[in-house]
Amino acid sequence: MNTSHWEMIIRLTDINKTYPGAVPLHVLKGINLEIEKGEFVSIMGASGSGKSTLLNIIGILDNYDTGEYILDGTLIKNLSENRAAELRNRMIGFVFQSFNLINYKNAVENVALPLYYQGVPRRRRNIMAMEQLERMGLSDRAHHLPSEMSGGQKQRVAIARALITNPSIILADEPTGALDSQTSKEVMNVFRSLNEQGMTIVLVTHDPGVGAQTNRIIRISDGNIVTPTPIIPNTAINV
Amino acid sequence: MFDLIREIGQTLRHNKLRTALTGFAVAWGIFMLIVLLGMSRGVYNGFTAMATPENAMAISMWPGVTSKAHKGYKEGRRIELRTSDKEALLDADPTHFEDVWQVKNLDSAYISTNKDYISGSLYGHFPQEAKRAKLNIIHGRFINQRDMEMKRKVLVLEEKNAQILFGDAEKALGQRVDAYNLSWQVIGIYRHDWENGTYIPFTTAMSILGDDGKVSETTVKLRNVSTRNDGDNAEQKVRETMGAVHGFRSDDKSGVYIWNRFNNYLQAMSANEILSMSVWIIGLLTLLSGIVGVSNIMFVSVRERTHEIGIRRAIGAKPRSILMQIVAESVAITTLFGYIGVVFGTGVTAVIAKLTEGTDFLKNPTVDLSTALNVTIVLIIAGAFAGLFPAIKATKVKPVEALRDE
Repeated sequence: MNTSHWEMIIRLTDINKTYPGAVPLHVLKGINLEIEKGEFVSIMGASGSGKSTLLNIIGILDNYDTGEYILDGTLIKNLSENRAAELRNRMIGFVFQSFNLINYKNAVENVALPLYYQGVPRRRRNIMAMEQLERMGLSDRAHHLPSEMSGGQKQRVAIARALITNPSIILADEPTGALDSQTSKEVMNVFRSLNEQGMTIVLVTHDPGVGAQTNRIIRISDGNIVTPTPIIPNTAINV
Repeated sequence: MFDLIREIGQTLRHNKLRTALTGFAVAWGIFMLIVLLGMSRGVYNGFTAMATPENAMAISMWPGVTSKAHKGYKEGRRIELRTSDKEALLDADPTHFEDVWQVKNLDSAYISTNKDYISGSLYGHFPQEAKRAKLNIIHGRFINQRDMEMKRKVLVLEEKNAQILFGDAEKALGQRVDAYNLSWQVIGIYRHDWENGTYIPFTTAMSILGDDGKVSETTVKLRNVSTRNDGDNAEQKVRETMGAVHGFRSDDKSGVYIWNRFNNYLQAMSANEILSMSVWIIGLLTLLSGIVGVSNIMFVSVRERTHEIGIRRAIGAKPRSILMQIVAESVAITTLFGYIGVVFGTGVTAVIAKLTEGTDFLKNPTVDLSTALNVTIVLIIAGAFAGLFPAIKATKVKPVEALRDE
């Protein structure tokens, strides 16, 4: 909807990935995928389809064998651990199914953690973390531990943490998988409003209802993208 | 840096029990090290306190009996020490023999006042004896050169003896006592850990029984000696000189009984060094078991926190910052609990110091600042070592771990 200029934020060209072993496993068989800036995309597929591997590669959590991955103009290939960590920190905001908050840190500290690894002074990163929590409507929970919050609150803290470095994309792995339907709806609304503010969001899910709320569904099966679905909001439901 | 400390503080607080259990082993190791070091220090201090130049840099001798025939004399001849030996010894080796003093003991004396009496010997000494024996003169003075020249009938009493004789040590000063059928004036009172003899001037002691020139003991004070070899040479020179004067073979070891205090001192010094080294080794090995414990627990901690480390890696922690954090945690645990051990250890050594106050074999058994500094360095290095291998393991955690469900 907001793609007046055709700026590709993610460009995967002929990505292949094989897990070595006694019987090598060819998980990604030449993936080609382009995601524009400001898109809200979901990746769907059965377990074992290569969906998680694709997510890992997009999230710079894993390497690929051949092909080319360009993220926001940066070629992501054969990076050192340090460089990968740096790019993850600056370009990607992760949201996980099980929230992945550090359980002995309160909300502010959790949200501020990515900035700690950028060397931002404590005072400044706490101020920035508070801003993000306010944006998520959680300023009253700032000094609560994750164990003192509900699932929806925890996921919103996690989203605040993903946003704090002002990343190129938000990468969400089954963000509603651990939530009830009501809270799922709330979290999806958060994503939707972030997307409306111009944030690119890539969401991995196996829930068709969640997928349907995105602008484009990419189906992956047996290491291939099966249907390059056109951008038709809310109509690509194919259970 | 401050941030890192905060991070560590948080993780340690989060695992209080584990931190405490791990720390205990380290604290115990350091505690043992400190106490052992304190004790060995005490032994060393006790030894050096006794080893004054006057009694460490010296060779003493007593009358003996020859074991070899020489110059027409048969073996089994008694050799007496004489006042005239002093000149002969001083002339023999002026570079190494600094001074000679002699002792004349008057045995089985009764020292009495109209109140009470004590029995014991009267020791005829040179004025130097006060310094050599480390007599602590609490009232009056020790024998001086004037007393020697005048052959004054004066004596120096030990504190408790003075109390027996006069009821109060201070009152004894200037009073008269009877001994050897003569009247003596008390000129000084001394205090000492184990000496309790009564001192009189050497010259007076010589003249009491009619001066026959025989003395009980002769000591040569050495100078310009530093090695065992110097000590052996000096001893040989003493024996040769005495042999020449008294007519016994210079290789006859029983002509006079010689105590080479200097070589004894060197021996005791090296024994002290060995003791101190063994203490370090034992202490460090005790500490080692604590350190292995820390390393072990850090491995467990890394394993338990795989998911957390994965999250940190996913949101941008570099392997180096993970490494730093684990090593720093380990150093923090070791130093923190190490210092608890140091505090308890110094406390216990202080108590031991209090309890053993006044005994001669253990003096001030506490550790000094440089030892504490060494221990700190040991702790930091040990902590870093303990953390290093678990930390390397932690850096191997892949960020993908974050995606795995707990």
